[in-house]
Amino acid sequence: MTSDAFAFWRIFFARLPVFLPVLLKGALTTVEITLASLVVAIVLGLLLALLRHARIPILSGLATAYVDLLRAVPVLTTLFIIYFGLAYMGIRLSSFAAAITGLGLLGAAYMAEIHRAGIESIHRGQREAALSLGMTPATAMRYVVLPQAFRVVIPPTANYAIGLLKDTAVVSTVAAPELLFAAKTLVSQTLLPMQIYLLAALVYLSLSLPLARLAHYVEVRLSRGG
Amino acid sequence: MGAVLAVYGEYLGRWLPPLVRAAVVTLELAALSIAVGLILGLVVALMKMSHLAALRRAAGAYIEVIRGTPALTQIYIVYFGLAGIGIRLDNFTAAVAALGINTAAYMAEIYRAGIESVHKGQREAALSLGMTPARAMRYVVLPQAWSVVLPPGTNLAIAILKDTSLASAIATPELMSRAYDLVGQSWRPMDIYVLAALIYAAMCLPLGLLVRRLERPARRGEVEEPGGPRRRIGLRGPWVAVGTKGDGAEGEAGAGAETAPGRMT
Repeated sequence: MTSDAFAFWRIFFARLPVFLPVLLKGALTTVEITLASLVVAIVLGLLLALLRHARIPILSGLATAYVDLLRAVPVLTTLFIIYFGLAYMGIRLSSFAAAITGLGLLGAAYMAEIHRAGIESIHRGQREAALSLGMTPATAMRYVVLPQAFRVVIPPTANYAIGLLKDTAVVSTVAAPELLFAAKTLVSQTLLPMQIYLLAALVYLSLSLPLARLAHYVEVRLSRGG
Repeated sequence: MGAVLAVYGEYLGRWLPPLVRAAVVTLELAALSIAVGLILGLVVALMKMSHLAALRRAAGAYIEVIRGTPALTQIYIVYFGLAGIGIRLDNFTAAVAALGINTAAYMAEIYRAGIESVHKGQREAALSLGMTPARAMRYVVLPQAWSVVLPPGTNLAIAILKDTSLASAIATPELMSRAYDLVGQSWRPMDIYVLAALIYAAMCLPLGLLVRRLERPARRGEVEEPGGPRRRIGLRGPWVAVGTKGDGAEGEAGAGAETAPGRMT
């Protein structure tokens, strides 16, 4: 039994030069999906936050409903609706496109809350001062409120990006060729689940830990007012 | 819209009962994982605040590794990985174990923020009354930390409830895998997955409202009395503490708890 287990580890380490490049290629896709869906989430989230902030009767209500509803639904369910559901209705997305759409749409709900907290953290005197100088509400938002809110928004956004990086693992269920899917493929070829999934976890860790350190550093710097 | 309603009118009676039964399994899965996370998380939190460097480092490594890797990967390691080295768990047990281990890492940081928010004079007073450190923790510090732990703890519970959907990847018979089966039988993915999403929302939204209620008194504690000292000062710190003092991957647990009231993760 134990000698068997060690034999598996020996095979694993002997083949490591084959396994690692496959996983790293998957990790590259993971990073691509993370970045693309982060951009979608940030832009769409800002739009939602501004819509809620503007208090336009129906639109603001819809934005609020979007934010509350999507935050109550799992990533996997959203992804299946977009990948399998839309395909059934005739809109075929590649697993990569479905991943970015799903994570982006879901992320927008979270980013909307982060943006809202940022906008609300700016003292309303700032906006009033801008308006009294003759700026339009839109200009005041663009040149006075948002630049200041930016500082407040960065740390939670960085934290959200780490969560997003981990959420991309879910995309493996619709066969997007990312890290966990690459690991799954290797496992089905080698029958070394423990070794290969641990290696995959290690690759995730080497992506998320530096990001976490960076987020922490930025947070400390910003809170110090530097 | 009308077409969608017509479909639901026709099939709802067939789809809803199995999905609701599966949602009960989802709730069981979430409750057990949270129970494991609450207990294991407290142990990890106390280790993290221990005087022994070895315990501190072990707890720190646990928190960093678990929060730095996806829950789905952890589920695969516990289910497929352990089976690969001869330890076979059934898919429900594996899901509870993996999600419990995952929850514990986030919960540990929430506990730590809660415990650190209790003024150290409280503990010192308890010790000076002759309590042992364990009793001081049990009867003085933890009861006060509780109100600080509860809102982010509930947010975490919502996140776990949603993460139970990942257990469908190892065929645990919960809501998502039942939905997947139904899609296989009826080939109506859009209608069934949207229905599943609505059931998840029906479970998570009340919890989200609960968080908002729980957060209100804590925030009231922050209000500065005109000309006087802050009241209930013990309640002031935690929102900052969870967001800023945590060393590293602030995933779902504490991130933005201060800046975004009522945020559901």
